Amino acid sequence: MPTLQFSSVSEFVQMGTYSFHVWVVYLLFAVFLGYHLILPGLQRKQFIRLQKRRAARDAELAARAAGRHGQSDRSAQ
Amino acid sequence: MSAGTVPEVSTWGAFVATLRRDLLVAFKRRNDLLNPIMFFLIVVTLFPLGVSPDPLELAGISAGVVWVSALLASMLSLDNLYRADYEDGSLEQLLLSPQPLFFLVLAKNIAHWLISGLPVVVLSPLLAYMLYLPEGAYWTLVLTLLIGTPVLSLFGSIGVALTVGLGSRGLILAVIVLPLTMPVLIIGAKAVTDVMFGLPVGSHFALLGAMLAVALSIAPLASAAALRISVN
Amino acid sequence: MWLWFSKLGSPRWFYELSGRWLPWLYGAMALLLLVGLTWALLFVPEDYQQGHTIRIMYIHVPVASISLACFPLMAIAGAITLVWKMKLADMVAKCVAPIGLWFTGLALATGAIWGEPIWGTWWAWDARLTSMLIQFFLFVGVIALRSAIESPDAAARACAVLAIVGAINVPIIKYSVEWWNTLHQPASRISMDAMSPNPPEIWVPLLIMISAVYLLFVISLLLRTRNEILVRERRSQWVTDLIARSQS
Repeated sequence: MPTLQFSSVSEFVQMGTYSFHVWVVYLLFAVFLGYHLILPGLQRKQFIRLQKRRAARDAELAARAAGRHGQSDRSAQ
Repeated sequence: MSAGTVPEVSTWGAFVATLRRDLLVAFKRRNDLLNPIMFFLIVVTLFPLGVSPDPLELAGISAGVVWVSALLASMLSLDNLYRADYEDGSLEQLLLSPQPLFFLVLAKNIAHWLISGLPVVVLSPLLAYMLYLPEGAYWTLVLTLLIGTPVLSLFGSIGVALTVGLGSRGLILAVIVLPLTMPVLIIGAKAVTDVMFGLPVGSHFALLGAMLAVALSIAPLASAAALRISVN
Repeated sequence: MWLWFSKLGSPRWFYELSGRWLPWLYGAMALLLLVGLTWALLFVPEDYQQGHTIRIMYIHVPVASISLACFPLMAIAGAITLVWKMKLADMVAKCVAPIGLWFTGLALATGAIWGEPIWGTWWAWDARLTSMLIQFFLFVGVIALRSAIESPDAAARACAVLAIVGAINVPIIKYSVEWWNTLHQPASRISMDAMSPNPPEIWVPLLIMISAVYLLFVISLLLRTRNEILVRERRSQWVTDLIARSQS
C-alpha cells in the first residue's frame, strides 16, 4: 500500500532540495496540457467565427445584388 | 534526352546516356565544378582560425572537421542536381521516358557524386595533413569518405527532389537533409578517431557499407517519387 | 473491411465518430491524470540515489515514449496517403507533426531538467538525448517542407515521402547514436536500467501516467484533425450546416 511521503506542505513544496527541478517540470507539463487541450478549441472558434462572417457577407452581397437587379428591372419598366 | 523518340533504348543505355550527359554538362561549366571543392577547402581553413592552430588540438578534431566539411560541401553542391534540368524542362522529359526512373535518378546521383564527392575524397589527405591527422589514419579517412560521400549524395537527392519546384528554398534543403545524414557522419568520423586510438574499425566499415547498400536501394526510389510529385 | 476502410476515409464520418468519442476520452484522461499525478507527487517513495527528482520521471518518460510513436505514425499515414490517396490520412499526418515536435521538445526539456541534478549538467551528449534532438530536427524538416509547398496536394505527397524516409532513418539514427555514445564515454551515470528491479509502487504510477499522456496525445490529435477537416471541407454542405448551427 503506498504511503504518503510528506508530513507537511512545506516539505512537499521543498521536494528534498529539488523543489526547482521537480516543480519546473510539472509546470511545463501543465502548460503543455493547456496548450494541447485549449488551443485547438480556440482555433476552432476563430475559424467558425470567420466562416460565419464570410457567410453573412456573402448573403448580404447576394441580397444587395438581388436588390439592385430588382431596381433596375423596375426602372426599365 | 531524346529517349522518347528513339523506339528501343535499353535501361542500361538510358542509364549510361544520362550519366554521360550530366558529366558533360558539368565539365562545360568549370566554375560549378570547382565551387564545391573550394568551399570544402575554405570551410576546413575556418577551423584552425576559429579553434586553434595548435597541432595537438587540431589533430583531435581533424577527422570530424574533414567529415563535417565534406558533408557541407556535398550539401552545397546538391542544388545543381535537378535545378537546371527542372528549369529547362529536361527533367520532365526524364520523367516521361519509358525506362525505369529509378536507374535514371541513380545515374544522375552517381554523376553528382563523381563531380562533387570524389574530388573531396581525393583532396581529403591534403587537408588531413594540414590538420595534423596522425599518419596511420589517412587510409581510414579516405576510405570512409569514399563509402560515405555517395550516401550523402543519395540522401541529398531526396531533399533536392522534394524542393526542386519551390520558388524560395532558402535553407529548407539543409533542414530536411542534414538530420538524415547524421548517422553517416557519426560512423565515418568515429572510424577515423578510433583508428587514431588504435581501436579496430572493421564494424565501422561494415555499418557504412550497410548504409550505402540501404541508401542505394531506397534513396533513388524516394527521389523518383519525390520528382514525380514536384514536377507533377 | 473495405467498407469500413472507405468509411473511415470519409472526413465527415470521422468527424462525427470522433465527436462521440471525445467526452469519454476526456473523462478517462482526467481520471488517469488525477490518480497518476497525485500518486507521482505524493506517494511514490523517494529514490535512494535520485531523491525526489524521481518524480520528474513520471512526466519525462511518458512524454518521451509517446514522442517516439509520432514519427512512425506520420510515416504510416503518409504511406496511406501515397497508396490510397486517402484525404483523412494526410490530415492526420499534417496534424501529428506539430504534436510530435511538441512532445519531443518537452521530452528534451524535462530530460535536461532531470539531468542537471543527476548528471550535474543540463545537457549531455547522451545517446537518448542526442537521438531525441535529431528526431526534433526531423520534425522541424517535415513541418518546414509542409509550409514551403503551396499546393496542398503536392505538400501532402512530398511530406509523405519525407516522413517515410525519415521513419526508415529513425532506427538507424537511434542505433548509430547509441553505438557512438557507448563506445565514446563509458557509462558511469545513473540510467533507467540501473533501476531495473522496480517495485510496483514505482512502475504502476508510471503506467498510469503513460496511459494518461497517451490519451492526451490521442485527444490532441483528434482535436487538431477535426479542425483540419472543418477547414478543408469548409465548402461542403455538412460543414456549412454545422457552422450555421453552432453558437459563438
